[in-house]
Amino acid sequence: MQCDWLHSGPQLWLRCVHRQVRLRTGKQEEHRGWLLTVDPVSHSVVLLSFREDGASVRVVMGHAVKHVEVLQEPDQDMAERLRSFFLPPNTVSLDPEELLRRRLAVCRWLQKNRLPVEEDGDELRVAGVLTIKAPYRPEDCCSSNQIILDRIQRLVRLQPDPHLETIQD
Amino acid sequence: MATPVSVLRLPKGPVPNSRGFDPNSPRFIALCRTSIPTSAAAQSDPEQLQEEQHARSVLRERFLRCLLAMTNKKVQFHMHEKVNVEATFGASDIDVLNFQVSDLHTPIGVQKEALIRCQDVISFTFDV
Repeated sequence: MQCDWLHSGPQLWLRCVHRQVRLRTGKQEEHRGWLLTVDPVSHSVVLLSFREDGASVRVVMGHAVKHVEVLQEPDQDMAERLRSFFLPPNTVSLDPEELLRRRLAVCRWLQKNRLPVEEDGDELRVAGVLTIKAPYRPEDCCSSNQIILDRIQRLVRLQPDPHLETIQD
Repeated sequence: MATPVSVLRLPKGPVPNSRGFDPNSPRFIALCRTSIPTSAAAQSDPEQLQEEQHARSVLRERFLRCLLAMTNKKVQFHMHEKVNVEATFGASDIDVLNFQVSDLHTPIGVQKEALIRCQDVISFTFDV
């Protein structure tokens, strides 16, 4: 697929994701790799190539991309590998009792810090704008407000170890 | 060539009215002219607009995770005139215009902290 890279839209880029592409940046320079993503802001192309001893990622800045050509589709294995490449590693699923204990501990900690928090099924909802999913670590907080997210994440990070909590809480 | 060079380069200060993707901010207009707006077709059709926005957010999230994976790793920057430098990646700004790096190995010595302009970079690589 030959295209004027800078002016193609995100939908075209999304269709090229996970395919092996050949990219030209200059008169003689060429790069090949599996397309992981294209940044919609800077048009940078992220390519992954596998070697015997591991993998290397090359990011080509948008202003340097002259020509992109799709070479091949991935097979099932490769597609799965590419899909999960930058995702955080899957957490070991904890048993429901431990999850409940953690949820209550985080809930109590937030309430101790004068924050309105309520349980919403398996999740915690803080001030109606932030959600904490299992297993209730700082990385599991989601919110559309950056500042609140940062504050709550810091708070959760500072939570004292529940095993050392005294009964006087 | 491991002795740090005592050259002071002050980075540009923050611009008070820059709002990241805001296309009307002076910083964006001055520096980010190549950033694409919504396509004309999508502007008229709300369903296509939604699809385009979804595509943008998926692509951007993957790119941000790529940047996250790169923090504190050794990165080789390939710049114009076949200049290759190695540094430890620190952070990028929201418009991907500058990269903050540490221990930049340049031909004249090692810069402890540096800002690299993305316009100067052709590509950069790192091992996973």
